[in-house]
Amino acid sequence: MEDKEVFAKLTKAIVEGDSEQLVRLVKQAIDKVDPLEMVEKGMAPGMTEIGSKFGEGQVYLPELLMAAEAWEEAMKIIKPKLIETGASMKKQGTVVIGTVQTDIHEIGKNILANLLTTAGFDVHDIGCDAPAAKFLNKAEEVRADIIAASAIMSTTVPYQKDIIDLLESKGLRDNYIVMVGGGVVTQQWADKIGADGYGELASDGVEIARKLVSQKKGA
Amino acid sequence: MISFLEVLERATSGPMMSAKEYDMKVFIPAVREVVKKYKIEFDPKNPCPHDDDLADRIYQAGVELYSKVGTYCTDTERVIHFTAEEIEQAVYECPKVVYFGEGPDRVEWHGRMPDDDKLPHCHVGSGTNTTEDVALKMVEAYGRITKAKTTSIPSLTTVGTLTGSLGSPMEILAGINMMRIAREGLRRAGRPGMAIIDLHPSCASGIATIASSNPEFGARESDGWIVAPHAELKINYDSLNQVAYLTSWGANIGQEAGPIMGGYGGGPEGTAVVTLAYAFHGILVVRATYHLTYPIQMLNVCSTTPEMIYVISTSSQAFARNIGAPYYALGYASAGPATRQYFYEAAAYLLAIQSSGIGIEDVHPNKAVGTNQALPIDSEFTCAFGHGNIGITRKQANSIIKKLMEEYLPNIKNPPKGRDLYKCYDLETMKPDDELLKLYDAVIKELNGYGINFK
Repeated sequence: MEDKEVFAKLTKAIVEGDSEQLVRLVKQAIDKVDPLEMVEKGMAPGMTEIGSKFGEGQVYLPELLMAAEAWEEAMKIIKPKLIETGASMKKQGTVVIGTVQTDIHEIGKNILANLLTTAGFDVHDIGCDAPAAKFLNKAEEVRADIIAASAIMSTTVPYQKDIIDLLESKGLRDNYIVMVGGGVVTQQWADKIGADGYGELASDGVEIARKLVSQKKGA
Repeated sequence: MISFLEVLERATSGPMMSAKEYDMKVFIPAVREVVKKYKIEFDPKNPCPHDDDLADRIYQAGVELYSKVGTYCTDTERVIHFTAEEIEQAVYECPKVVYFGEGPDRVEWHGRMPDDDKLPHCHVGSGTNTTEDVALKMVEAYGRITKAKTTSIPSLTTVGTLTGSLGSPMEILAGINMMRIAREGLRRAGRPGMAIIDLHPSCASGIATIASSNPEFGARESDGWIVAPHAELKINYDSLNQVAYLTSWGANIGQEAGPIMGGYGGGPEGTAVVTLAYAFHGILVVRATYHLTYPIQMLNVCSTTPEMIYVISTSSQAFARNIGAPYYALGYASAGPATRQYFYEAAAYLLAIQSSGIGIEDVHPNKAVGTNQALPIDSEFTCAFGHGNIGITRKQANSIIKKLMEEYLPNIKNPPKGRDLYKCYDLETMKPDDELLKLYDAVIKELNGYGINFK
């Protein structure tokens, strides 16, 4: 099988969320095809395609999650090979993402986490009901570029401000891009608390993250 | 029916798994399986189908789905399972009528049927964010709508200059303040006995709900308390604490569910089944005597697209035909308040739910986001619609909805923002300004032209 054919099959398996088929293909090709190219020319285009379809409403969360799960399974085989060969994937940036203190809603946050991962970001998901200090501690630990905080309720959005307040009180505000989102969050609120980025929908988040990281690195 | 204590027992003894396992290995495959097995298909040409067989298949699919997935308790990381027989028995035994309010404002709320010629229960108001300075007048305005049977009250997120963050003492104080304000507002409207059935919109935590329910602050046994899960079919101990408290004195509990189309339930077919399955969760886990649903679309965050009208129509028909308990639906319009598009979207949604056999509530403008977006004129519109279209059939509704959609769908992604309460009402008299009155009169005439009546 030519490399191009392998890449096309990897793309298809990702788009179909077919974890078993993807793992089978990766195992077959791992010693014959450059592992970095398998990711960048095979799997990544599949994730881009499924992400676009999700953003356009042509597929839904189950399809997105199944593609992400297939990606994770395949990466378990590919990552050791990448380390062995000394190759590394191009990283868009590092993100710490979570739902704020007392808020247990995770769907929007999970979607953005998946979309960011598949767009090449290194994503650290700290889950839901996360106090401001948990965001900051993780961000410091992984040297994050972005802190992304979701809040779905009018009574939990104030905790997004707590994150910015904490960063400011520690003199670390300029170290991080802060993105906010969630059901009741608006651009007006994001502006009011001094967030750097806001997306109405989870699917808006990737482009905003790319743009903000690019601005930060260019700054 | 399985007792609440048995539910709690199952919450601590059911199969253990992570939430991710539940979503990926249990929930998603089960939804896909029942949608396929029961041949549930979305037809964009018929957003409000008049197909009893489809409604009954959605019911059967819902029973099978819920018997497979149950409710996931996030605190114990266990699944609370019920057999299909236990679900059917609970449906048979659950109350089919609920009583709200006191004195001349006491109402009986019965289930309806699709194409029913009975007046739907007309519920008004909004539990969305409202500033303290206008909350009293908003409730008074709701109470003054004589066709309204029950009301929701606003959500306060501030206590003076303090913010009512979830889990903070300010949340408790906001809940208590709103309760006091609401009862006074209804007294001023001459409807002291009118029931408030969205208790407590300012409180999301169990402790704040319980604290705000002290009769000292105005809550009454004849009001209604809503208990919410989180998507999809998950509950935590905080919500179960509310149920433990409320069932201990026989409160009217409403189960409130907001399934997400495009989320774990997948497309409109799966979401219709999931929406229906929440009724079983409501009856068994939340111990609900009435049910509120508000399915929303993940991408547009509104409920007036063809997919969402299909979800609410078919799941409501399945509920009405097979469960028959008090049920109502809340729609989110894409358009902002005081806009022509808002009234078109609201009319489409109300047509779908009234003809499908359930109770009606104001459609909320601007996707229920923002502060002071809900207007009393929305409530007047809802009640006039309910009374003007008694007996409207699903077939008639479907035909009109499609025509209304031709008007609003092109702008659904970029809707007009509209004007909030401050900008289109005289806050002294609580009357709409001339611009809004003129728009309202014009819209009513336009909608009359589509065959929609208002009384």
